Amino acid sequence: MGNGERGRPNKKMKYGGKDDQKMKNIQNAEDYYDDADEDSRDGEGEEKKRDFTKLELKPDHGNRPLWACADGRIFLETFSPLYKQAYDFLIAIAEPVCRPESMHEYNLTPHSLYAAVSVGLETETIISVLNKLSKTKLPKEMIEFIHASTANYGKVKLVLKKNRYFIESPFPEVLKRLLSDDVINRARFSSEPYYGGDGFSVGRTCGELEAGPGELLNEAEFAAAAEEKETHSFEIDPAQVENVKQRCLPNALNYPMLEEYDFRNDNVNPDLDMELKPHAQPRPYQEKSLSKMFGNGRARSGIIVLPCGAGKSLVGVSAAARIKKSCLCLATNAVSVDQWAFQFKLWSTIRDDQICRFTSDSKERFRGNAGVVVTTYNMVAFGGKRSEESEKIIEEMRNREWGLLLMDEVHVVPAHMFRKVISITKSHCKLGLTATLVREDERITDLNFLIGPKLYEANWLDLVKGGFIANVQCAEVWCPMTKEFFAEYLKKENSKKKQALYVMNPNKFRACEFLIRFHEQQRGDKIIVFADNLFALTEYAMKLRKPMIYGATSHIERTKILEAFKTSKDVNTVFLSKVGDNSIDIPEANVIIQISSHAGSRRQEAQRLGRILRAKGKLEDRMAGGKEEYNAFFYSLVSTDTQEMYYSTKRQQFLIDQGYSFKVITSLPPPDAGSSLSYHSQEEQLSLLGKVMNAGDDLVGLEQLEEDTDGMALQKARRSMGSMSVMSGSKGMVYMEYNSGRHKSGQQFKKPKDPTKRHNLFKKRYV
Amino acid sequence: MPQVKIIAKNFMDMVASLPAIKLDKLYNNVFICEAILRSLPPLAKKYVLQMLYIDVPVPATMMEEWVLADGTSKHRVAIDRLIQLRIFSEISDRKRGTSYSLNPTFQNNLQKHIISGGVLPREPMNSDNAIKLPSLQELETYALKQWECFLLQLINSGQGEKLTGISSSMMKIFQRGLLSQRDKDGPRLTESGFQFLLMDTNAQLWYIIREYILNAEERDVDPADLISFLLELSFHVTGQAYNLNTLTEVQNNTLKDLADLGLVKLQQGRKDSWFIPTKLATNLSVSLADSSARKEGFVVMETNFRMYAYSTSKLQCEILRLFARIEYQLPNLIACAITKESLYNAFDNGITSDQIITFLQQNSHPRCADRVPSIPENVTDQIRLWETDLQRIEMTQAHFYDEFPSKDVFEAACDFAREWRGLLWEDSKRMRLVVKSEVHNQMREFLHTQSR
Repeated sequence: MGNGERGRPNKKMKYGGKDDQKMKNIQNAEDYYDDADEDSRDGEGEEKKRDFTKLELKPDHGNRPLWACADGRIFLETFSPLYKQAYDFLIAIAEPVCRPESMHEYNLTPHSLYAAVSVGLETETIISVLNKLSKTKLPKEMIEFIHASTANYGKVKLVLKKNRYFIESPFPEVLKRLLSDDVINRARFSSEPYYGGDGFSVGRTCGELEAGPGELLNEAEFAAAAEEKETHSFEIDPAQVENVKQRCLPNALNYPMLEEYDFRNDNVNPDLDMELKPHAQPRPYQEKSLSKMFGNGRARSGIIVLPCGAGKSLVGVSAAARIKKSCLCLATNAVSVDQWAFQFKLWSTIRDDQICRFTSDSKERFRGNAGVVVTTYNMVAFGGKRSEESEKIIEEMRNREWGLLLMDEVHVVPAHMFRKVISITKSHCKLGLTATLVREDERITDLNFLIGPKLYEANWLDLVKGGFIANVQCAEVWCPMTKEFFAEYLKKENSKKKQALYVMNPNKFRACEFLIRFHEQQRGDKIIVFADNLFALTEYAMKLRKPMIYGATSHIERTKILEAFKTSKDVNTVFLSKVGDNSIDIPEANVIIQISSHAGSRRQEAQRLGRILRAKGKLEDRMAGGKEEYNAFFYSLVSTDTQEMYYSTKRQQFLIDQGYSFKVITSLPPPDAGSSLSYHSQEEQLSLLGKVMNAGDDLVGLEQLEEDTDGMALQKARRSMGSMSVMSGSKGMVYMEYNSGRHKSGQQFKKPKDPTKRHNLFKKRYV
Repeated sequence: MPQVKIIAKNFMDMVASLPAIKLDKLYNNVFICEAILRSLPPLAKKYVLQMLYIDVPVPATMMEEWVLADGTSKHRVAIDRLIQLRIFSEISDRKRGTSYSLNPTFQNNLQKHIISGGVLPREPMNSDNAIKLPSLQELETYALKQWECFLLQLINSGQGEKLTGISSSMMKIFQRGLLSQRDKDGPRLTESGFQFLLMDTNAQLWYIIREYILNAEERDVDPADLISFLLELSFHVTGQAYNLNTLTEVQNNTLKDLADLGLVKLQQGRKDSWFIPTKLATNLSVSLADSSARKEGFVVMETNFRMYAYSTSKLQCEILRLFARIEYQLPNLIACAITKESLYNAFDNGITSDQIITFLQQNSHPRCADRVPSIPENVTDQIRLWETDLQRIEMTQAHFYDEFPSKDVFEAACDFAREWRGLLWEDSKRMRLVVKSEVHNQMREFLHTQSR
């Protein structure tokens, strides 16, 4: 596939005006676009010019907020009076590429449109609203693309009503098409097989309650959207549900089914008596994300993306409280299991005996016939031999019908683990939560089909402006390598020690020591220091006499250290290895110093920043112009002229795209600091160098996490996944990359892509 | 203003450099007298007006009393300028010391001008049905379009069709210093060329006009005539029509070139032909003193190094391309990104980080212009850091010595080099050293004496 072809819809596609004709053409519809991300902003080396100057400007273009290009890129002016509405609309139909202050960029992709359709937006609505907002006439290609992408999706729903499974669609002709398939026809639950005639039951569902893009529509369209819709449906055999779902996937009939749960009419599964406590007031964006999930009175499966500290857990708990059925909550490790259990009790009226934790340390069971279970992915997906007790609990999980499957940090869990978890547990509705939907690998596609589309994604800057999350001052501190360290760094035979050398750079140590001292003493801040390199972590922590937590730290000790950090005035700094990246909740911290990191992982950077995003202090102080505009600080220390500089740029890309800016500081530690900081004299520095050089290669490398059996599988999976992504993953400046195989640079790291591994939705495009 | 190395800071420098006879001839024209007066530094302006009706020389000592102690330097500048322009003539007398008197022609003309006002050699034509004047708006659009066309042709030389009527030989003259002619790569913008593009329109215009005047003699045109005509032109009224038959042949030819630059618009009726001066022309003498009012900016710079330019202009697109990567071109927006590569490219071509930053600040979109700073700090910092990154290596010419006969000789040589502050590097194990080239001769002599 040549360059010229990429990013253009297939010209062969022709559509008649009528819906049914569209349906016939769906087979071709997969041939557009390989991912728009592919030709995203990183065309290093090759200058890609996209000249859309020929687009016709509308006379009143000044009042309209956006430009839309034929290749799917959309530019949005944030200062437009229509910004808020346009943002809500775009976030529903497109992937954000970058969202700084004045101008946002988005990409229309098949996934994003799939998500749009699944929250109830229709093809014509998408096109007409987009056209209203656009300064120019919509490019023909874009209209075709929207048609092509939405033709297949969202037409068929799988609904669980009164514990009977129905296949539902507003388009009877689609149902007819499905029934012409043998498997589905056989699965149909009716006295007589299907002979023609249609015989579907006709029902009504109410339209979207949520006003979102509706605000932009004029009366007529709005009325149409809100009007009750006639739906046709037929029932299928519950035993055949999985097979039917399979048949509908893109590799077969290509009508991926949306799953909706009509929980109000479910009177088979027992209700769980839980309400939100009155003090749990969801914020506007939390409301909005929930409204996307419960838009039509039913519960949709999907993913909600909120920055760390913006209150993901309240969204999760609210969703559970709204569905009021048994809920299975999955977290990544034991500490966060405790935290989730705590959140449930904090926000909802759930009784203690209705909620239980299931980890290797604690095997509780809830009483009564409905409840909440909090556990880790590994406990459920664990393939080895379990204790008798665990086996029983797992068996119970397997046999239960869960109202809600709540999944935390979906971006870190490998796809095969999802598959396993989902096959073990039967749930009516799946909700994934995450802060950063970036994956350095290509698993985003899997998430789309395993959990569901992205329902909502918040804009970081808007939340900062609203005072909902902390306003973080980010800085990159440039620490020159000392002469001796740099000399060793350059030697070939030290290639395995490179990382240790640039992390242990005495200048970096001094900068770190200076920052810790400054924030502890001058501002009374609470500081987290992150180091991926275990050798460095230990050296730093020992030298500075601070507590540290890493993989081998026991659960009890971890809890103890974190407790002391929270409450004690004497413990203001804690050193964390990468175990602290996700889920460990340390709301008190407001300063992060990162001394080493996992190569170019954008996700890690964002996750770490997330540790201090929880807003602190009074709201009015935090607002622009308030007493403390910045009340959180993120320092990334890099040794100049080393690989770190390169990685650092890559790592920051995600945050920069969210509108954060990194200030470069070159003057730390201050030159007059002298011997008040460690490693001032050359002898000290040389002895440190000796220590680094004498440490075994295994010691100075990355931390090999030895977690309890729960953590093991996850870590292992994460590591193996990392090998490919780490080196190349950061490659793009793209927001999500599920396909970047043809990039020229970074090839030496990249495994050639095996087309058979590609998701079916995309496979066809490469034929 | 960007730091402009290539432009004559003041057009008057050029006037001042004219031979005395020509300069005196210039002052015969009242309008030139006024234009020159306008261009003077404030203090010089005051002296001229103060002495306008004094017919005897004024002693320098007396003038020095007019200024306060801290104004002495300004006083000197003013006097120097006036002498350069031959407005003042210096009279030295042994008894009474130095004194100054005004140039009589200049004085006379200015006196007349103040009382009766000047009369231009030509009047605007009466507007009748035969003449359809463009609106001021149209005229301005026309002028800017012409100017842009000209600039595009200037930088794209060689490629593309001919856009203006400027002869290629003339174009070559303008390109002198801005483009370097390389046989293989074709013409390339030089350092000055880049700086030229980043300047504002008036500064650019004066650069071109200056080249045009300097070159006048090659076209058998008297530079003084040309200057006088240009200054006169600036006193015409924007948007009015003036008959071409009031012009000399030389002026007529000049006008054709000026039309190509967008200074005037030429029109032809049934009987008459006429020219309409545009703002570019009438601002000529105004802009001598200070740069004209600022245009509205168009660039939005984001913290993520993306740059959005609200512009439809091809030229602006080309200018942005000098230091940024153009990614999307939309009907009224150019989306680009500043990257390390794009900046290295710019630095390579002699553009400095300061020039880029000043350009961004000057052209910052009104929406961001009020913001402090108008360009995100991290972006300006990074641009500067990337530049300093390139300057980290310093080259020093040096000589390398090895194969010393003995340790003693080697060490003596090291000491000697150290004494002369020329020792750059030594390796005592293998007896090698590197010494600055400046001390190579001394070093060689020293080694000769040693070996003996």
